[in-house]
Amino acid sequence: MLRPASLQEASDALAAASTSGRTLRIGETLLTDRLNRVLQHEAGDLTCTVEAGIRLSELRAVLAPHGQRLSLDPPGDPTVGACLAASLSGPLRHRFGGPRDLVLGVTLVLGDGTVANAGGTVVKNVAGYDLGKLVCGSRGTLALIARVSLRLHPVQSAAATLVVETGDAAGVAHALLRSQLQPSALDVLHPGRVLVLFEGVEPAVDAQLAAARALVGGAAGDEDAWAESRERQGAALGRLRFAPRDLRNTLSTLREAIVRPAVGVAYVPNRVGGVPPAGVRRLERGLKAAFDPAGALA
Amino acid sequence: MSLPPDLIGELETQVGPEHVIVEPEQLRVYDCDGLTGWRATPSAVVLPASTGEVQGVLRACSRASVPWVARGAGTGLSGGALPVAEGIVIALTRMDAILEVDLGSQRVVVQPGVTNLDVTRAVEADGFFYAPDPSSQQVCTIGGNVAENSGGAHCLKNGFTVNHVTGLTLVLPDGEAVELGGRSLDADGPDLLGVVVGSEGTLGIVTEITLRVLRTPEAVTTMLAAFHSLDAAGSACSRVISSGITPAAIEMMDRLTIEAAEQAFRPGYPEGAGSVLLVELDGVTAQVEHDARAVEALCRELGAFDVRVAQDAEERRLLWLGRKGAFPAMGRISPDYYVQDGVVPRTRLPEVLRRIEELSAERGLRVGNVFHAGDGNLHPLVLYDAAAGETERAKDLADAILEACLDAGGSLTGEHGIGVDKVCAMPGMFSERDLEVFTRLRAVFDPAGLANPGKVLPTPRLCGEVPGPFRLHPLERMGVAERF
Ligand SMILES: Cc1cc2nc3c(=O)[nH]c(=O)nc-3n(C[C@H](O)[C@H](O)[C@H](O)COP(=O)(O)OP(=O)(O)OC[C@H]3O[C@@H](n4cnc5c(N)ncnc54)[C@H](O)[C@@H]3O)c2cc1C
Repeated sequence: MLRPASLQEASDALAAASTSGRTLRIGETLLTDRLNRVLQHEAGDLTCTVEAGIRLSELRAVLAPHGQRLSLDPPGDPTVGACLAASLSGPLRHRFGGPRDLVLGVTLVLGDGTVANAGGTVVKNVAGYDLGKLVCGSRGTLALIARVSLRLHPVQSAAATLVVETGDAAGVAHALLRSQLQPSALDVLHPGRVLVLFEGVEPAVDAQLAAARALVGGAAGDEDAWAESRERQGAALGRLRFAPRDLRNTLSTLREAIVRPAVGVAYVPNRVGGVPPAGVRRLERGLKAAFDPAGALA
Repeated sequence: MSLPPDLIGELETQVGPEHVIVEPEQLRVYDCDGLTGWRATPSAVVLPASTGEVQGVLRACSRASVPWVARGAGTGLSGGALPVAEGIVIALTRMDAILEVDLGSQRVVVQPGVTNLDVTRAVEADGFFYAPDPSSQQVCTIGGNVAENSGGAHCLKNGFTVNHVTGLTLVLPDGEAVELGGRSLDADGPDLLGVVVGSEGTLGIVTEITLRVLRTPEAVTTMLAAFHSLDAAGSACSRVISSGITPAAIEMMDRLTIEAAEQAFRPGYPEGAGSVLLVELDGVTAQVEHDARAVEALCRELGAFDVRVAQDAEERRLLWLGRKGAFPAMGRISPDYYVQDGVVPRTRLPEVLRRIEELSAERGLRVGNVFHAGDGNLHPLVLYDAAAGETERAKDLADAILEACLDAGGSLTGEHGIGVDKVCAMPGMFSERDLEVFTRLRAVFDPAGLANPGKVLPTPRLCGEVPGPFRLHPLERMGVAERF
């Protein structure tokens, strides 16, 4: 088991594996748990740079005293690197985007040991190819994600949850999405329940909650409802995608699921197969050969 | 320049003879984009009408090993659409159909030649809008926006083009068409879509794009705060953001640009202002009202001597008038100007603006600042007179400004792209190793190097063998000083 504690060690490990023909699997035979420092947190800029082995809970503890957060809330307590590599997100995905939308820059160690930077630490930047996005969803097959610069959000002073028990979750979700309300999260706990999270200053949260209740009914809920949503998402084995307008049809084919209607994603109990189209596979193979020519990363 | 003998004939077969331009007079229309100092006349211009035609054109180029440059409206400011003389330009302006409005999914599917504003026009009656709003939105195309990952004043809250593209069709340089993403988000596998957006036409030609549109907000408040100094406005901007408020837009103008705008358009900005901040808030009414009070209080605390709030659409238009007209206004007070696009961390705005003032005084050229302050994206306008031989001096000053941005931990470009304009500055931001990895990525899509050659990545031919002054990458400057 390899546990590099610096970029140099990570680079050496992958270069050596490439030379010797060994295959490493990030998270199993190549661990990032010693790459877990916060390198910079510029509170005034709402940005931070971390080593990718840091867990979300550890980062949360650093940011909370400043009234800030990384708006990523996937189930469990994964590392930042895992969030990117597996494109993990939770209910806050609705408003704040996924890892690809929050990453500003990365330092990668490619399969052959090459260390490369892309992006930067500022919130707006179009210089060079955006490798930080490229590795989102790459499942550790192209590179070890060593450092990540991230966009942060301010924690709002008030929050409220609306729980709508309904036989027509699709109708409720569409009514909310069609309205001018701006929820931070909107989940369907299929079958039968819609959860909505409002954040902001108290009068605005109250107003949104009241307007939402007038529109779709429901009652105030609490953090437990979201914990349940995350837990059920975490237990799901498959991620299913659909065009948001097909929400009703999609729900009708599923017995149970955690669904993000605006994102067009349903977390379902069974595995979801599917092979990408030939052109995409060709590009993925090309990238693998370019970034990990010896196949050092599983 | 001469193309292989059969190529023109083949292109004509692909798109129809009337859509292949070879007349020197007509070719000249395409010889530059918005960066007019760089010009090259292409050997031919082709105007395909469909994905299939684009595929045919690229296959023909691939067989003949002829390089090509994609082009939208040609408003790019970094020379991204600058032709290569020995190659052809592929103009996408005929592909201007909105293919589908799917409001149930909050998506619109378009061809690349559709203008940015037309996307909003297609959905606004239903209460939706397309968020990225470059100032050039009446003319620039979605294909160009995708290639540049364009931003705009209102990207502070809602994100840039890349955050609003959910799917696209990319024709690779060998003619194969690849579908990336779709109507849902979070595709499996590496985020190829995320790397194609912003790749400046170097990975292929985008022929169909699925965009996210947003619901128009319930409330909008626009305010203008006038300060005596640029410093104070810069501090106010970074304080607003760090206080936890996310305005839809925060734009900033300095004395020179205010005066120029005032002469040209009379927006009636407060007299004696050394700088103004234009802040727009949108969202649910109660939140906007609260934030507007907070922003006004913060601005006054930091020295604003006048704060105006637009009471209706007409007043809002007037407040934006000066900002929107700033570039053309500069054209009236200076024969030539050169726009930079550097980015700095918001908290370093005041010091970088001071540095720009110093540099401007040192070099004896005026610099106007009008920019997207909320995300630290500067647009210093270096004013000069080419006829008086000031071009070199202007270029030097612009380079020095970019260096100041990089020194502050920023970026060469926030939205205009690298193109040819900043290609030789890339080694100042990225190491040789970083650039080599970019080259690997590019070659996966375009092994023969036919797609927009000479853009984005420096080559010895363009920039000489000596790499530019190298700075530590911002990531490396922090604590861990490892160099690879
Ligand atoms: C007055 C003015 C104001 C501006 N304001 C802003 C602003 O606020 N924000 C901002 O971000 N930019 C701004 N710009 C810059 C410019 O408008 C944008 O970069 C815009 O996206 C370019 O679009 P275009 O259609 O003109 O593209 P072009 O200039 O024709 O091309 C730009 C690049 O895109 C590539 N390209 C074009 N179409 C395709 C395609 N279908 N597939 C692949 N590659 C393609 C070209 O090869 C080139 O590299 C401004 C420009 C002007 C002149």
